Amino acid sequence: MPYDVTITRLPLRALFDLKGTATALAAWCGTALPPFPDRPNSRMEAAGRGLCWTGPDRWLLMAALAEEATLAKALRSEQAPDDLSVTLVSDTLTFFAVTGPDATEVMAVVTPLDLHPDIFPQDGAAWTEAFGIRSATRRIAAGYEIAVDRSYADWFEESLRRAST
Amino acid sequence: MAADPYRLAEGGRIDRSRPLRFRFDGRDYQGFAGDTLASALLANGVRIAARSFKYHRPRGVMGAGVEEPAVLVELKGDAASGNRPATTVPLTEGLVARSVNAWPSARFDIGAANQLAARFIPAGFYYKTFKWPDWHLYEPSIRRAAGLASAPKEPPQGAYEARHAHTDLLIAGAGPAGLMAALVAGRAGARVMIVDEGTEAGGALLNRCLTLGGQPALDWVAAVVAELAGMENVIHLQNATVWAYREHNLMMVQERAPANSSLLGRNWRVRAGQVITATGAIERMMVFQGNDRPGVMLASAAQAYVNRWAVPPGRRAVVFTNNDSAYAATADIARAGIEVAAIVDARDGVPDHSRALVPGIEVLAGQAVTSVRGGRRVRAVSVAPIRGGADRQLDCDLLAVSGGWNPAVHLYSQSRSKIAWNEGLATFVPDAPAQAVRAAGAANGAMELDRALQEGVAAALAALGDLGRSGQVPELPGSDDLPYTVSPLWTAPGAGAKSFLDIQNDVTVADIELALREGYSNIEHVKRYTTGGMGIDQGKTGNVNIIGAVAERQGKSPDEVGVTTFRPPYTPVEFGAIAGRRAGPVVLPYRHTPLTRWHKNNGAVMYEAGARWRRPGYYRRAGESFQDTVNREARTVREGVGIYDGAPLGKYEIKGPDAGTFLDWIYTNVMSSLTVGNGRYGLMLTDDGLILDDGVAFRLAPDRFLISTSTGNADAVGQYMEKLLQIERPDWRVKITNVTSQWANATICGPKAREVMAAMGSDIDLSPDAFPFMAFRDGHVADLPARVVRVSFTGELSFEVNVRPRDLPALWKAAMAAGAPFGIAPVGSEANHVLRVEKGFLSLGHEVDGTVDPHDLGMSWVMSKKKDDFIGKRSVELRRASGRPRRELVGIRPLDPNRQVPEGAPLTPGGRKEATEGFVTACVWSVVENRWLGLALLTDGRARIGGRAHVRLPDEVIEVELCDPIFHDPKGERLRS
Repeated sequence: MPYDVTITRLPLRALFDLKGTATALAAWCGTALPPFPDRPNSRMEAAGRGLCWTGPDRWLLMAALAEEATLAKALRSEQAPDDLSVTLVSDTLTFFAVTGPDATEVMAVVTPLDLHPDIFPQDGAAWTEAFGIRSATRRIAAGYEIAVDRSYADWFEESLRRAST
Repeated sequence: MAADPYRLAEGGRIDRSRPLRFRFDGRDYQGFAGDTLASALLANGVRIAARSFKYHRPRGVMGAGVEEPAVLVELKGDAASGNRPATTVPLTEGLVARSVNAWPSARFDIGAANQLAARFIPAGFYYKTFKWPDWHLYEPSIRRAAGLASAPKEPPQGAYEARHAHTDLLIAGAGPAGLMAALVAGRAGARVMIVDEGTEAGGALLNRCLTLGGQPALDWVAAVVAELAGMENVIHLQNATVWAYREHNLMMVQERAPANSSLLGRNWRVRAGQVITATGAIERMMVFQGNDRPGVMLASAAQAYVNRWAVPPGRRAVVFTNNDSAYAATADIARAGIEVAAIVDARDGVPDHSRALVPGIEVLAGQAVTSVRGGRRVRAVSVAPIRGGADRQLDCDLLAVSGGWNPAVHLYSQSRSKIAWNEGLATFVPDAPAQAVRAAGAANGAMELDRALQEGVAAALAALGDLGRSGQVPELPGSDDLPYTVSPLWTAPGAGAKSFLDIQNDVTVADIELALREGYSNIEHVKRYTTGGMGIDQGKTGNVNIIGAVAERQGKSPDEVGVTTFRPPYTPVEFGAIAGRRAGPVVLPYRHTPLTRWHKNNGAVMYEAGARWRRPGYYRRAGESFQDTVNREARTVREGVGIYDGAPLGKYEIKGPDAGTFLDWIYTNVMSSLTVGNGRYGLMLTDDGLILDDGVAFRLAPDRFLISTSTGNADAVGQYMEKLLQIERPDWRVKITNVTSQWANATICGPKAREVMAAMGSDIDLSPDAFPFMAFRDGHVADLPARVVRVSFTGELSFEVNVRPRDLPALWKAAMAAGAPFGIAPVGSEANHVLRVEKGFLSLGHEVDGTVDPHDLGMSWVMSKKKDDFIGKRSVELRRASGRPRRELVGIRPLDPNRQVPEGAPLTPGGRKEATEGFVTACVWSVVENRWLGLALLTDGRARIGGRAHVRLPDEVIEVELCDPIFHDPKGERLRS
């Protein structure tokens, strides 16, 4: 009996790797960024843009691919101050959505991350492991979204398919 | 098909409305839903169900659960698996099984001839004989003669799943203590996972006739199970075993019959905040001559068969015990209609509460069963006073034995927690914990039901406290269980060569005595010498008896003898369950570049080329041999223009005011002096001064660099740099970003590369003066935003065109179209290997094998003399100061130009059978010299250039001429052109 899930490979999106303190980044990037997450492994969203905590003084900005050029212009990575790093990384990750009634069942196969709502609430987002490789996982409305290095995408998609059947 | 003539007319937890057909050792039988294979065999009168591991002695069912040491079966069909204790195989319709280690069947087994030679094959016999001329000559037949089931030849029809879980509290065991603990923790709101190996909850209560609160104990079990089922915070698994206890409370659980019908099994990796081992206790065998004869059975098993499966395992029984629990078992089997001839109790004094359970049954106190009569099954037993005296024969077909109880401390011990000898219980019990774990109930030595329930509550409350929670003490129902006392009898009088301590491994008292005589006095050595306690059952019924027997013979207490290590798995686990879905094509990760489809469509042979990347090895054309293809591709680059997919190359951006300082520290040469737009080749060393990686650093801006790494080392170098910054130089203001997958590249290389670049269209000035070697330029190529880099791995003029991966297919297409007039062709990693060998460029995994420094490779120029320090500098200098000879890079040309030398082949002095003086790191057919040539690391190699060396192969010696390791364009004019 296959699990009742849908696996969807998602299109590219605009991604920026940000390094530096929230204060310094907020000062440099201004209104281009959503508010900074106030705790580890969480995410804030505003105006269709999401900002994930990925480590101490490390963040990942996500937006629709159509916003890539606009954001690049706003974030001015090449002019960023010494203590900040702003790097366009849109092509580094491939995103998958795991949605449906059994999404959590399948995710238990995919990742060792504790997905209990008390531990990984609706705004949860974390760099973790999926099928043994590095991945970014977050909750979405009907399930979960997982991102892996682009080069692993074909293998990962096949692994997801097997886990759900 | 036979009916099951030995089944009681009523009773048992079987569903008589659901008969099931099954086949065992070629014969058809019938059982019922709720049976195990063992209970169904007994119900059908199958008494000889197995042959022993070594002597092929006839064996029957001895246990009723995971402790079963004797009857292992091989399952056939869709559920094919081997070495399953018959007591743990739920009966299913159409089940097909056969006994292991018997041919043609357990009833008649050719291997039984081994019994005639038993005295010549004692413990460790294979250590003493079969040495000449070679053990391996005998090994296959010895392994065939002994042994277990063969592995299934085909993969199972279905899939396993491996999944993760987290819980506040994991409870191993759903007997009374475990259920009570789950109830307390579940009511307190904790996340609870309770796992039990049985097909239904209740543990030992399923096998006994006890009451709780005046009601049948199983009613209490049912009520608790129902309440737990209503709790969203509780996961309750039956038919699932916690088979390993790892670090940080990582528990491995095998679920054998998941609710998802598409799964054959499921393995859980559970991270638990707290653990309670409520794993119950396992009854010990009694040790006397012939204690393995079919018809000898654990008393608790006999009790289980009559109560749970309505199967009397005999018609007339003798019970042999040294403790109280066998009296309740006797009462139950007598109630089922089995005539009990006598209870033989090794103790002088039998408690009144025990005697009161068996009114009318003779109790022979202070006596022991000394031997068994009957060839293929028990027909009678001899009983004698332990302190000496005449023996007496009692006719029987069932001998129920109870040597006392061992808490199942396996998981507790696997957690590295201590266990300690308990004199009163004559066994080992849990002691100081090493992880967040507690034992409860019989697993903790609480053998009476009331105490087990109390311990379940106490353990749960303590665990909740450690979790920062609190719980309520529930009402504890009183039970009619009686006290447990035991007085150990490790071996009966006369125990010897046919008194089995470890039934599964055919280890006897005589074997133990032999080991001790030969000096194996440590219990770990006894175990290894005799194999006692090893194997599938991991000594569940035998371990403590072995320890007791050793103690008895050494005049020590069992505590002084100590215990051996309990190892996972607690019960056998299928490999498939561990692997889960990661099997077949996804067993290991693989990585693709954006051009993979193009490569495949154009004849590329793909294989892994480092760090899981699947890259084109070569693009074979019709009529070409492998070598033809490689030669063609290499010539294309040397004479015209080629293109290869360089997407996997590792790339990192290094940014910050200390970025230059950081690069100067991790590379051997100076990078901080680079001007913007230019790059430099460099080597990274380990702390030991050996080459870690090579690559190129480019300065993108005053505070920003881009470095490349080898494909295979990309991730390792990234982690290495992060580690250095986070641990050793946290004060340096440097930020590292992995952009390996943000930039993909197509490298256009060869004398006509510039023409192709021009034909593609670019706003970059490609002239040599404007765009020299080791520079990069940002601009557009084929209307795509690109960063073009002038580096070369082939020794030819090269343009590495980096674009966003999303643009790489378009770039590649444009290059192929623009290059067509110039004869452009794709080249794979095989041709690249040829080209770099001709040029004498190093390759990780070939010349860089973890033992060489830059001087060894003739790259002293890369070791900066200007810098005070860099990683590895001191180690290199220390090593060089010793003056000892080093293996150095040289070129080799076989004297026979058509003779290929295998890569990795050793070089020995004169080709003699002596210690090697180096090895061949690479050997290729050179398209510039039209012959085989290669590279080698050779002791004092550079000084020997012009001389000869010898490659020693198993059946020949190849003589080679030593030369400079650069065969092509030694001045580098072509790559700088």
